[in-house]
Amino acid sequence: MPFKGKSGKFKAAIKEVTIGVGDKAVKMGGENVLPFYTFDGGNASAPIVGVYVSDKGVEGQPAAVKAYYEGCATVAEMAKKAAEMPGGDFVVVHFESADPNGDDASVESCMETLKSVVEAVDCPLAVMGSGNDEKDADLLVKAAEVCEGKNVLILSAKEGNYKSIAMSGVQAYHQKVAAESAVDINLAKQLNVLINQLGIPTEETVMHVGTAAAGYGYEYVSSSLDRIKAAALAQNDNLLQIPIVTPVCTETAGTKESLTEEADNAAWGSRDGRAAGMEIVTAAADLASGTNAVILKHPQAVATIKKMIEVLM
Amino acid sequence: MSRFVVIGERIHCISPVIRKAMDAMDPEPILKRAKEQIAAGAGYIDVNIGPAESNGPELMKWAVQLIQGECDNIPLALDTANMAAIEAGMTVYNDVNGKALVNSADAGDRKPYLDLAANVGAACICLCSNGSVPGSLDEITGYCMELLEHGLGLGMEAEDMWMDPLFLVCKGQQDKQGQILDAISFFKENGLNSSGGLSNVSNGAPKELRTHLDCAMLAMSMSRGLTSVIMNPNDTAMMNTVKTCDVLLDNYMYADSWLDL
Repeated sequence: MPFKGKSGKFKAAIKEVTIGVGDKAVKMGGENVLPFYTFDGGNASAPIVGVYVSDKGVEGQPAAVKAYYEGCATVAEMAKKAAEMPGGDFVVVHFESADPNGDDASVESCMETLKSVVEAVDCPLAVMGSGNDEKDADLLVKAAEVCEGKNVLILSAKEGNYKSIAMSGVQAYHQKVAAESAVDINLAKQLNVLINQLGIPTEETVMHVGTAAAGYGYEYVSSSLDRIKAAALAQNDNLLQIPIVTPVCTETAGTKESLTEEADNAAWGSRDGRAAGMEIVTAAADLASGTNAVILKHPQAVATIKKMIEVLM
Repeated sequence: MSRFVVIGERIHCISPVIRKAMDAMDPEPILKRAKEQIAAGAGYIDVNIGPAESNGPELMKWAVQLIQGECDNIPLALDTANMAAIEAGMTVYNDVNGKALVNSADAGDRKPYLDLAANVGAACICLCSNGSVPGSLDEITGYCMELLEHGLGLGMEAEDMWMDPLFLVCKGQQDKQGQILDAISFFKENGLNSSGGLSNVSNGAPKELRTHLDCAMLAMSMSRGLTSVIMNPNDTAMMNTVKTCDVLLDNYMYADSWLDL
């Protein structure tokens, strides 16, 4: 029998979500083939890269990150610099200082910072909360208000605070909201159901389905991503046809590979190269499994991953 | 892997409401039932216009355009003995969301319906019988292979022939139920799609008890690999059985709200 080639294009597609406004707005999702399957006759959408900035500045960061932001005195100046980083598509501002178990910065002071960032940059923005459910329910709602009209991505609405964040973020201030779950595909889906039941169309949301650094229980992340994309495309599960964003550098930054100084372990070589490498390998794996946006901070990682995306597309 | 397909059976000319609507070409009662079934989870809508000897082509064309036009081109099963009506319906059918299903061919007098399906680019429900009740599993599988070969010879894809094992009434044909399940296993082993009118199983049983027979047969059939069924999607017990089996068979990802989805 003659060989009959079949297209791997699915009848289902991931919804397309836009962040930002104007010429610089970027799109996530839209694909109806597996990640980077440009040969399958469908739409393989190019993933995007977010450049991460912490409101705590660059203290303790790898040398290349410090060097890149040298001379920046404020978060707004850093954000402006981040917006110019080659390979970046959007800027992520992380209110790390708001963590009640850390600096516990007030929501008011964070909003002052955010206002200055919004004024300083015209690229698409994502705002990342402290990770504390209660604090973020306040912080991210106010952030959605501060960013009104900018169509920003709010990271994230979780099981414990999705109602206020999704309602105010999307309904009141027309931002996009990421639904976050921790490497639990069933909870990831359920959270989409719950947000959808609030009357929020899936087109207004993305998913953050969990993250880990390569080598640190990473296999679960990869299999979750694979399983979600398969359900979305092959099983036409419309509650999972939502683009996925994966913060990478927040995870890899805490690994010993990223933290250990060369002086403390000469055999490992430069800390800077390792820190970039951890971001690159983790992000590459996330993208191969279907993530539509990765968040990175090391300039070398941003450039490398962007190049990888361009070559594979 | 794929989700189970429910073919909604409620647009049927035996129903007095539908009969009347079809006679008068009154859209409302038909659209109401189509929308109720789709909202409940039907993936296909069966359109049974009966023999429609006087105006079959006109009626089927009208029904196809009406339902697809108002319901986002939902795929349809064209259910009539009137071949000209099926041909006419196919001239206006939009297959963007799935091929039409011809309901149905068999290995006896109704074999030409498979030729018709092949000609108009539709899929076809293939009743594995020659018109009478099959006596054994071998008979069912024999008719299955005969229909499959016939369809392949006509250039159809195997996946477009949905094999019907012929569900039989339990009250009176109790001994045949196992054979039907075995036939479904055979379809699955051969990678074939399948379907059938499952509620035959409970014919004649007390009305309030029918659901137990239907739901149990549905669950057992799905576990053997049945890929679709013709049923009333607005029967909550039946629909919940479909949804639950889809989750248990890993056809649909579990979430706590699975019955609401």
